[in-house]
Amino acid sequence: MNSNLIPAVDPVPLPGPPWLFHLLWMVTFFVHLLFVNAALGGSLLAALAGTGKPAGREAAATLVEINAWGISFAITFGVAPLLFMQVLYGRFFYSAAILVAWWWLGMLGLLLIGYYLNYVAKFRLRAGKPAGAVLAVEAVCFLGVALIQVVVNLLHLQPHRWEGVADRAWAALTDPTLVPRYLHFVLAAVAMTAAILAWVALRRANAGGDRHTASEVAKYGVRAALFATLLQLVDGFWLLFALPEDVLKAFMRGGAATMVPLTLGILAGVTLLMVLAGVTDPLAQGTRVRRAAELIVLAMAVMVVTRHQLRDLYLAPVRAAEEMAVRPQWGILVVFLVTFVVGAAITAVAMVRAAKDRPAPGERAA
Amino acid sequence: MDYPIWNLAMGGGVLIGIVAIAHVLVSHFAVGGGIAIAVVETLSVRRGDGALRQLARRTSLMLILVSTVFGAISGVGIWVTIGLVHPAATSALIHNFVWAWATEWVFFILEVATALAYYATWDKVRPRTHLLLIWLYAFAAYMSLVIIQGIIAFMLTPGRWLETGAFWDGFLNPSYLPGLLLRTGIALFLAGAYMTLAALREPDASARARLVRLLAAFQVVGVLVAYGGYRWWEAVLPEHVRAIFLGGSPLLASLATTRHLLLWALAAYLVFALLALLAPRAERWPVAVVAMVLAFTFFGGYERLREGVRKPFVIRDAMFSNGILVGEIPSLNQRGVLTKAVWAAREDDGTPTGKGRAVFRAQCASCHTMNGYLSIRRLVEPADADTLRGILTIMREDGEQLVQSPRGQPLPTRQLNYPFMPPFVGTEEELEALVSYLVTLKPTQVGEVSREQ
Repeated sequence: MNSNLIPAVDPVPLPGPPWLFHLLWMVTFFVHLLFVNAALGGSLLAALAGTGKPAGREAAATLVEINAWGISFAITFGVAPLLFMQVLYGRFFYSAAILVAWWWLGMLGLLLIGYYLNYVAKFRLRAGKPAGAVLAVEAVCFLGVALIQVVVNLLHLQPHRWEGVADRAWAALTDPTLVPRYLHFVLAAVAMTAAILAWVALRRANAGGDRHTASEVAKYGVRAALFATLLQLVDGFWLLFALPEDVLKAFMRGGAATMVPLTLGILAGVTLLMVLAGVTDPLAQGTRVRRAAELIVLAMAVMVVTRHQLRDLYLAPVRAAEEMAVRPQWGILVVFLVTFVVGAAITAVAMVRAAKDRPAPGERAA
Repeated sequence: MDYPIWNLAMGGGVLIGIVAIAHVLVSHFAVGGGIAIAVVETLSVRRGDGALRQLARRTSLMLILVSTVFGAISGVGIWVTIGLVHPAATSALIHNFVWAWATEWVFFILEVATALAYYATWDKVRPRTHLLLIWLYAFAAYMSLVIIQGIIAFMLTPGRWLETGAFWDGFLNPSYLPGLLLRTGIALFLAGAYMTLAALREPDASARARLVRLLAAFQVVGVLVAYGGYRWWEAVLPEHVRAIFLGGSPLLASLATTRHLLLWALAAYLVFALLALLAPRAERWPVAVVAMVLAFTFFGGYERLREGVRKPFVIRDAMFSNGILVGEIPSLNQRGVLTKAVWAAREDDGTPTGKGRAVFRAQCASCHTMNGYLSIRRLVEPADADTLRGILTIMREDGEQLVQSPRGQPLPTRQLNYPFMPPFVGTEEELEALVSYLVTLKPTQVGEVSREQ
């Protein structure tokens, strides 16, 4: 490895304690991932739902409605982890992105097309028009975005591959963990969104919606979540054992810090499989469907920790001599923390009020 | 400059310009549009005016499709682009302003959530709640401008930060408030200009005239605020920056022309806005489109000017546009620029021309393309080796002169022989190597070089 090719640490000191950046990074990345999964899994499930049948149409319509919000929040919530990551690992991240610059830039084009197509699909489904092709292209766009993200993330962990990629950009696709890592994200996205779709259908049925259609939609969600989780268990182990030997060994020797989150994640996956396999009539088994969604979210939370730990292990050899000066900017840091808390509260209050406030009989609506 | 280098045929600056202009036109509408829609709906509720309500409703879809979709993605796009073209500068900005950006991000969340909820709750919630949503949106969108302006202005006028390195000195820099006032005016008039097009779809003639007049008032106020902000902005610029485009003999004639153009465009736009205010019934869409083009011309011209007068820096008086820090000139002159520009150094094949190519990649390629924008081939065409050597030697002396300047003060770039180019930095051997490479780019040598590459 030519370690001289790794850019020097930025001479400007870290403007806050490193642990705070790590914590904020993981928390905001987890929230970002919830929306990313909704966008990616939702677009795939909508494309595969088969809009020719009423239940398929209902499923697709529900998913594109969720995505009108989900995509926006996936982008907006992506800003924060990107910020905190750049403060800590900018020299690795920028280098990786520059090496596949056109792909990285192209990701924005795919995002833009996918997002607008979601609105096209939404308005077409509302108008009773076919939307299968639009949904398919939207799904392909988001699959492309996910692939580029995984490629850049893998590349920034492995400076020893940079020279090869600089000479031949396609070498960015040759890492043995690329396929299982990519599948790991796609399958998690499908499982999470499918379980949420089933839960939404169930709530709609309980709120007086068409029970037959809701039941079909919920079954579609449960089946998709089950199938994705089954594949995920296989793929998860494939990914684990495809990790570079030194990284895998360091991870296994990490003690409770690394083994507890991983074990919890695997246990959550296995339990999820059993819960999903036991759902025969989703409308009558509401608690079970909700448990499934909760288990997936739990598995994602612990996997975010595992992912973070793996990054540190990948980069440990090249960061061994790294010295980052720390000079916290306390004033603006406090401004951020206060804004964060107050802003989250105001957003929550506004959303609850938007969802619940309804004019009384005879009163005018906005 | 120790990062990999993206060889972009069109030039990184051009790409940043394209993405940035597209983004600012939309993002300023997102700010002004929020305020304008909030005012329009508030008036509609107070007066029971259905036409005003219809205008707010029509525009709210535009706000979502243009602002929360295109605005959000192009905003990330600027970040992606500057990270690819100027990674060192991006890293420096992130390290200095990460908490400001994080604070802005909280307002983004509020902005996007309220925009989506506002559009989704027409006919569903009580007017009070609906107004709360749009006023929260307007507040959040404006706060995002309040924050990002600190970082944009910092790049041109870092002020006392050069001395202290302190966050607030960098953020509340000399051109912060003037720029904020200017952008507030721009946001207001852009909202008026965009929404006039939506208002012209109102079928009832007298209602249409009412809407056009209200939006014209927005534009007139916006233009006056923007003009005041612009003049204030010019007044606070350091003398060395003002000399570039102001005064009897500006250093860069093209930027002086841009300044004239943008001020005339603003004056013409004011005339259109006043006409719409005084004779709203005469307003037609082609006239509104011309007014909008004038508004864009002023705004685009200002952005071009602001970027242009920063030359040759990416962060004025601290980091040059090729990523070299002012403070590292002496050490790089001694040990060689290729000891830092390790990715560019991969092009060094051991020959003087190879080393020269590597030096070119490190110091020149961030602005000069081969054949496109600021084409190096065209620039070296009339020069021979001695001329090039003379120019580079003078540019190297320019760098040494800058280093002698008192720390923490604006650098006297106007006194340099080449005030818009970063000085040449590196050893004598690297300078000679660059000369030998540049000579090969002259037209008679081009075929040979192409084969070599």
